[in-house]
Amino acid sequence: MLAYIIRRLGSTVLVMVIVGVFVFMLLHLSPGDPAAIVAGDQASPAQIAQIRERLGLDDPLPIQFLRWASGVVQGDLGVSIFSGEPVLKLIGERLEPTVSLTLTTLVFAVVIAVTFGVIAAANAGSLADRALMGFSVLGFSVPVFVVGYLLIYVFSIQLRWLPVQGYTPIAQGLWPWFERLILPTIALGMAYVALIARITRTSMLEVLSEDYIRTAKAKGVASRPLLLKHALKNAGVPIVTVIGIGVALLIGGVVITETVFNIPGVGRLVVDAISKRDYPIIQGVILLFSAAYVLINLLVDISYTFLDPRIRY
Amino acid sequence: MLRSTRRTFVHGSMATAGALWLPKRLRAQGAGGGTLRTVMHGDLRAFDPIWTTANITAYHGAMIYDTLFALDESMTPQPQMVSQWEVSDDRLTYTFELRDGLGFSDGSPVTSRDVVASIKRWAARDGAGQHMMQRVKEIRAENEKTFVIELEEPYGLVIDVMAKTSTPLLYIMREAEAETDPMEQVTEFIGSGPFTFNRDETRQGAQYVYDRRDDYVPRDEPASGLAGGKIVKMDRVIFENIEDSQTAMAALQAGEIDFYETPPLDLISVLEMDPDITVEVLNQTGNVGWMRLNFLHPPFDNVKARQAMLHLIDQEEFMQATFGNPEYYNKCASNFACGTPMENDANTEWFERAPDPERARELFAEAGYDGQPITILHATNIDFMNNAAQIVAQRLREIGINAELATSDWGGVVTRRAVMEAPADGGWNIFITWAGGASVGNPIALAGHAANGRDGWFGWPEDELHEQLRDEWAMAEGQEGQLEVARKIQENAWEFVPHVWLGQWVAPVAYRNDIQGVLKIPEIVPFWNIERV
Repeated sequence: MLAYIIRRLGSTVLVMVIVGVFVFMLLHLSPGDPAAIVAGDQASPAQIAQIRERLGLDDPLPIQFLRWASGVVQGDLGVSIFSGEPVLKLIGERLEPTVSLTLTTLVFAVVIAVTFGVIAAANAGSLADRALMGFSVLGFSVPVFVVGYLLIYVFSIQLRWLPVQGYTPIAQGLWPWFERLILPTIALGMAYVALIARITRTSMLEVLSEDYIRTAKAKGVASRPLLLKHALKNAGVPIVTVIGIGVALLIGGVVITETVFNIPGVGRLVVDAISKRDYPIIQGVILLFSAAYVLINLLVDISYTFLDPRIRY
Repeated sequence: MLRSTRRTFVHGSMATAGALWLPKRLRAQGAGGGTLRTVMHGDLRAFDPIWTTANITAYHGAMIYDTLFALDESMTPQPQMVSQWEVSDDRLTYTFELRDGLGFSDGSPVTSRDVVASIKRWAARDGAGQHMMQRVKEIRAENEKTFVIELEEPYGLVIDVMAKTSTPLLYIMREAEAETDPMEQVTEFIGSGPFTFNRDETRQGAQYVYDRRDDYVPRDEPASGLAGGKIVKMDRVIFENIEDSQTAMAALQAGEIDFYETPPLDLISVLEMDPDITVEVLNQTGNVGWMRLNFLHPPFDNVKARQAMLHLIDQEEFMQATFGNPEYYNKCASNFACGTPMENDANTEWFERAPDPERARELFAEAGYDGQPITILHATNIDFMNNAAQIVAQRLREIGINAELATSDWGGVVTRRAVMEAPADGGWNIFITWAGGASVGNPIALAGHAANGRDGWFGWPEDELHEQLRDEWAMAEGQEGQLEVARKIQENAWEFVPHVWLGQWVAPVAYRNDIQGVLKIPEIVPFWNIERV
């Protein structure tokens, strides 16, 4: 197992190098000049050229890449072209809101979706099954921003129960922190709930038709332990796999959700950086997202060994 | 050797003298009143208001820096940090005295050396500043409170240029920061203005925090525009960066923010119906949309093709497409924004007949148009630019012109518009943007008013007479004299067509009814004088 983890971590480094080269080339070869954006609308071409030179954007691409890569190896992601703030500091400031939103969404989605999936499978073909699966289709179909605006209109503007936007750090209290995450979590979690609920139902139906479940029923095992202890655990591998894959979906959704609910997270940081071609920030955030995605999938792979003792690395 | 008989040209000395009788504490800022949360038109990406011309950075500058002169509500320059000033009879020497009590937020006094360094750095980056500096022989500090600008030749715009609200404004920094290379950002933000920048509580991209400066000494005159007493009545002002306009509107309705600078016009009726919210136009000259034509390449290197574009355009169509409600826009044929002192109707007969597609077709034919593609830079992420580019393309196609849209975001457009090569080699023929009405109304302040060829602004129009007339305008005395020259500039401009205007619009702000004292001035939103009631 240890050797497997070390091997996977080694491949993670390789993935990061490939991502780094790819992102760097993609950014620098795509149209857009940060110097022109920095200079503003009234600047002359000569002024833009001067700024470009000062920012080192006139240097050959390999030199720019080596400058950036050598910094990354030393843990320095560079500084924002616009504010001059270190990228690591900017990401650090934005990490808490994004991690908070991601975790609350994961917990919300897994709890709701697994419950929905198990209920639907246990009552396959019933009205409850159809209603829950219909709800899942809705969750898939309605974009995050539509759900977000509807939630804001109902719960913030009309009922005034919850705040419209913003983020309160957890250090300022659990409720102030959680209060501002409720609506974004529901909006972001909808598609995720739908995805996991459908996989849970399918996986559960497959397990419920197995001989050992029939045997357990014949031995008089009550329906709740039967579903949760015998069926759900054995249906766990595909569910965990989908949760892992869904993290990519979540990362994409975080960007939109943070915009709709004005959460100052990493998603908004990168969207803003893209619009102004702030290369160091874009490169830093994409490296971070890639590392997070690769590591989450490593954790998913490791979790298989706990769900299915037959799996060994 | 300069010999000057000084004539009395003293402004503000009585007020300053009177103010000095008052204890400093009484002259300082007003009592505090909580926090004002605002959402401005964009994110504050850079903090140095000289380094970038971004409007939001100029807003930031107005919070933490003071200016030598400032425009009042009637757009008249008034002394701000200056207590009194005089000009020699030969109009070559301007002598300025700083008012008492000026200081930076680190406690150090504002001196003439700070001012001289600030003027030099600003002039290196500002088009109007450069225009003035071409005539400046020397700027020097005479003593701690007096500085002098000596000119090579009379220049009528010295005060106007120092007071202008178009970016970059002439903000006064400490000498230490003002000596920073103008092409690099300052890193310390020690201001001379009524607020301090609270960097500890600022979170880049999320919120920018400004605290009231208790040791700032405002002028005694009532606040008017950017001039007069900058009395801060709130303890703190926060620029919240809410990117999504729907969310910002909802936050205003729910009382989570107090002030929203740019509510979307298509949803403004929702706010107008809300009894807790005031919708008001602060900037009456608004913005002017315009189309730049590339003088370097066919077909717009030919004046006939440029004239064709004047006849092709129906401003109403462009305004309707983006702004909808005629209450917030108007058509304007003047080369200097409507509602500004230089607005005039010289040589605008074409406008009465426009759109006249047949005439446009004839003019393109006279220009020898041979079917080559016309590349229109098309920014899709900004509504006005997106809509306008598509309308221009459609109208050109309707008269047989081979118009092609080069689609990207605005970041892509600002890069490509700087390319001087032919459109087929990465250049362009047309791009669309807008500028503040107050700048458009001034032949010197707007970089795009220059027609100095490749040294000028994108599109690189070139016309010797135009440049001579701009210089003449700068030397003209009084508004009437300037208007007379402005008419000549326009008479000539609509012959050689440096650009084409697409209409003028205003953008109302929205704020909660429990705040009052919002000041009206183009291009900047001041946050002194505002209080919660």
